[in-house]
Amino acid sequence: MSPAARTVEHVTCLGCGCACDDITVVVKQDRIAETRNACALGTVWFGDGQIPQDARVNGRPTSLEQALGEAARTLEAAKRPLVYLAADLSCEAQREAVALSDRLSAMLDSLTGAAAAGVLAAQRRGRAGATLGEIRQRADVIVFWGVDPAERYPRFAARYAVEPRGLATPRGRASRTVIAVDVGAGRGPADADARVAIAVGDEVDALGVMRATVQGRVASDEARFRGSPELARRMSEGRYVTLVADGEPGAAPGDPDRAEALVTLAQALNGPTRCALVVLRGGGNRSGADAVVTWQTGFPFAVDFAPGFPTYRPHAGAAALLATGEIDAALVIGSPASIPEPLLRGLAGLPSVAIGPRASTATFQPAVAVDTGVAGIHEGGMAFRMDDVPLPLRPPLAGPPTAAGALRALRERLGA
Amino acid sequence: MYDPANGVDGQVRDVCIEGDRIVADLPANAPRLDARGMIVMPGGVDIHAHIAGSSVNQGRRLLPEEHVADPVPAPRLADGAPARSGTGGTIPSTFTTGYRYAGLGYTTVMEAAVAPLAARQAHAELDDTPIIDAGCFVLLGNDDYLLRQLAGGESTHAREYAAWLLGVTRAYAIKIVNPGGVARWKTGGAERNVSGIDDPVGSSSVTPRKILEALAGAANALELPHPVHIHCNNLGQPGNVATTLATMRALAGQRAHFTHLQFHSYGGERGKGWTSAARDVIEHVNAHPEVSVDVGQVMFGPATTVTADGPVEYLLHASTGRKWVNLDIELETGCGIVPYSYKETAAVAALQWAVGLELFLLARDPWRVVLSTDHPNGGSFLSYPRLIRLLMDRAYRDEQLKRVNQKMLAGSALRDGLAREYTLSEIAVVTRAGPARLLGLKSKGHLGPGADADVTIYANDPDRAQMFATPRHVIKGGAVVVEDGQLRRAPAGRRLVVRPEYDPAITRDLRRFFDDYACVEFANYGAEPVA
Repeated sequence: MSPAARTVEHVTCLGCGCACDDITVVVKQDRIAETRNACALGTVWFGDGQIPQDARVNGRPTSLEQALGEAARTLEAAKRPLVYLAADLSCEAQREAVALSDRLSAMLDSLTGAAAAGVLAAQRRGRAGATLGEIRQRADVIVFWGVDPAERYPRFAARYAVEPRGLATPRGRASRTVIAVDVGAGRGPADADARVAIAVGDEVDALGVMRATVQGRVASDEARFRGSPELARRMSEGRYVTLVADGEPGAAPGDPDRAEALVTLAQALNGPTRCALVVLRGGGNRSGADAVVTWQTGFPFAVDFAPGFPTYRPHAGAAALLATGEIDAALVIGSPASIPEPLLRGLAGLPSVAIGPRASTATFQPAVAVDTGVAGIHEGGMAFRMDDVPLPLRPPLAGPPTAAGALRALRERLGA
Repeated sequence: MYDPANGVDGQVRDVCIEGDRIVADLPANAPRLDARGMIVMPGGVDIHAHIAGSSVNQGRRLLPEEHVADPVPAPRLADGAPARSGTGGTIPSTFTTGYRYAGLGYTTVMEAAVAPLAARQAHAELDDTPIIDAGCFVLLGNDDYLLRQLAGGESTHAREYAAWLLGVTRAYAIKIVNPGGVARWKTGGAERNVSGIDDPVGSSSVTPRKILEALAGAANALELPHPVHIHCNNLGQPGNVATTLATMRALAGQRAHFTHLQFHSYGGERGKGWTSAARDVIEHVNAHPEVSVDVGQVMFGPATTVTADGPVEYLLHASTGRKWVNLDIELETGCGIVPYSYKETAAVAALQWAVGLELFLLARDPWRVVLSTDHPNGGSFLSYPRLIRLLMDRAYRDEQLKRVNQKMLAGSALRDGLAREYTLSEIAVVTRAGPARLLGLKSKGHLGPGADADVTIYANDPDRAQMFATPRHVIKGGAVVVEDGQLRRAPAGRRLVVRPEYDPAITRDLRRFFDDYACVEFANYGAEPVA
C-alpha cells in the first residue's frame, strides 16, 4: 500500500544528455505529479510514469515466460541477427545486451550510429575536452558553433556553460563572453555578446582558416572567411575556451570533415591557451551505451560479432544492413519511439523481439514484445551524462520487469 | 616452491588448499595436482596498471585499429560455462583483460588512477573484468576542494576528507599525480604546469610540497594499508631527478610509494640532452627504508600513454604529432592519452629502457622495488615475461643492449656493465611477495596457511620469458582457472577496498562546497550503490 504522496530527491533525468541529477520527483498515488527543477523537455520525458506492462507474442498478451521463450526461439533461428540499443536503458541492461550479442554472433548497434561522424573523428584525431562542470568553473569564452542548446538541451546554459558561477567565473554570465556562430540555418543562442555568420558550404574551410590562424600559419583573406580569423584570435586570447557543437544529427547527416575540423581546432587552441570541445549528445543514456559497448568490446558502436569476436563496422551498421536486407531477425532493446525512421522502416516485416519501455506499442509490430520500465523512472542502475560522467539512477516508481532482468532471463535461456 | 615471505627458496613443498584458502594440511586422500619438476609461486600481484575506468575507456575508444588487429574469441571454458569474446592491443576490453592477466599467472591487479567523479564507472568495468581481485587508487592532489583547504591554512581537514573520499569511491589507496601541475594546466593562463615542488599553485600556501605533505600525512594518520602512491612532478623531463629527490626528501621519514620511477630518473637538461640518473635515485631509495617504488619499465614496442598528467600528454602530442585526448575532469583532475611506440633506434627510448633496468639492477632491497611497466604507458603487461628474462639473464640483456641506440647512454651504469642476475626468489619478491606486502594485503603474495589460494605453477623452462609467459596452472581463490596452459574457469574476482572512519563534520563542509560549485548532487557522488 503506497503512501498518498512521497518525494524522491536527487533523481537523474535522462530526457537529454545533460542528465540533470537534481530533479525532485513528487509521486502521488503511484503517479508522477511534479518534477521540480526539470525543464519542459525533462517533464515530458518523466511524464506521469504510467506505462504498459504487457508481454505479447504476435500482438496477443501472454506471460513473460512464454514471451521470453518465443524470443529465444526467434533469435536462435536467425542467421544474421541484429541487436539494437535504443533509448532509456540502464547500463546494467546495456551490459546484458552486449552479452546477448556475443552469444548470438549478432551485429550490435545503437543510436550512436546516427552520430557516427563525431565519434569517428575522435577516433582518428582524439579530442580536447572537459567534463561539463569544468566548463562551468573555468570557461571565460564560450563559442556556440551552429547550435542553440536551449532547444534540445534546455538546462545546458543554466547548469553548465553560461549562467552558473564557478571557481574562475565568480560572476557567472558576466564572467564570460558568449559568441554565437551561425552556420546557415543553424544559429547560436540569441543571448550572445557577438555573432559570426558562416555559409554552410564554407564551414569546413572556415574552421581550417581558424586553425591556421591559431597556429600562426598564413590564413586567408578571402571575403567569405571574413570574421573567422578574428574569431580565432579572440578565442586564442581567452583563458579557457569552450567550443560547443551538436553531435546529434540535425537536418543534414553529420559531415566527417566538419567533425574533424572542430576536433582539430579545439586541439590547436591548446597551444596558445586552454580549450575544450563539448559535443552535445541526446538523452536516454545513449552515452552509456557508448561506454558499455566500448569497455566490453573495444568499439563504441556498430560491433559485428559474426566472426566470433567483436569487429568494427561503423559504415555497415544497423542502418546499412537493414537497408540491404541482410538482417533476418532483430532484438530491439529500449524505447522504440527513439529509433530513427529509416531503421523503423527496415524493422517492419522482420521477425523481431522488442524489449523495452512501451515495446508493445512499437510501430514495427514485433513478433515478441516485452514492456519494461524506463531507466531512471522505474529502473535503477547507472547512466552516463553526455560528457561521459557516470551517475546513479533513483527511479521514483516501481514498474514492469526491468529491461536488465528480462535480458538476463533471455540470456539464461540462450545459455549465455 | 618460491615463497619468499615464508622463507621458502626453491625447496620442494606441498601446497594444501581448502575452499579458497591455503591450509596447513589435508587428508591423505585429497585430490592432487602433480607439480613435480615445476616452479610454484603465489599468484602475481600487479601494483600499478591502468585497466579500468573513464580514462582507460577513453583510451579503448581511441584505438579501434589496435582492437581490429588483436581479436580475441571467447575461451572455451570447462563445463560449457559462458565466456566472452573481446579485443586486445595495449588496452584490451574488460573480459579479455581478466582472461589475459589470469593466463599470465596474475591474480591481483590494482587500477592505478581513478577520478572520484568517475569511480562508479571504474567499478562497473572491474565487475566485467573476470578472475582477478582488484582495487582502485583514487586521485587526489589537484582537487579544488583540497587546494582551497590548503590555501585557507586548513590542512588538518585533509585526513577526514581523504577518509571520506576513499570510502565513498570504494577505493584502496590515495593516488597523487603531478600535484598542483594538473590544477595549473586546467586553470589556463601563462603557467601550464609546475616545474618544482615549491611552485605556488594559485596561492603561495599551496605548493606541490604542501599538497604532498598534507596527503602523505593523512594516509599515514589513517594507517592505510598502502601509503600515498605518487607520480611526481616533471614526469618525462630531462633533469627531473632533482624534482624526484626533492619530493622524496620532502616526505623523508614517512611511508610513501613512488610510482613508475623510471620516468622520473633522468639527468641532463632540456635542450642539452638526457642522461640516466638512475644511480642517484636508487641510492636514495636504498638508503630510505620508508620509501617503496615500482619501476615503470619501458619495453620496446607499442604502448599507450594514459595518465592524469594532462600537461605531459599535451607535450607528447605536440612533439610527436600523434592523436591526443585531453579530458579535464571537473573540480578534481584530468586525463591525457597519446598512443606511443618505444623504438630501439630512438635515443630517448633506449635511455628510458636503460634507466629502468638500472633501477632494478642497482636496487638493494627487492621488497621495495616492484616490477611494473605502468601498463600500458611503458608497455603492455604481456611484456612482463620478457622483462623478467632481462633481469635474470645477463647474456640476453647485454645482447639487447647492443641493439639499442647508444647515443644517450654515456655514463649509464647499464652500458658500463651490470652483472647482476635476479634469482627466481627475487623475481617472486618483485612480482608478488613485495607488492602484496607494500599494499598491506596480508593474505596475498605468499603461500602460508591462511593465505588466499592464489597459486601460479610454471614449467621450469630455462627460457624465463617463455616460462613466465605460459604458466601451466593457475589457481585463483582455490579454483583452477588455468589448467595445462588453457583458461578453463572464469569466476568473478573480488574488490579490495578500505573504509576508514572519518569525522562526519567534514560532510557538512563538503556539502557547502558542492552547493557552491558541483554539477552533480552530493548524494549521487561516488561509487556506492544508492537506495
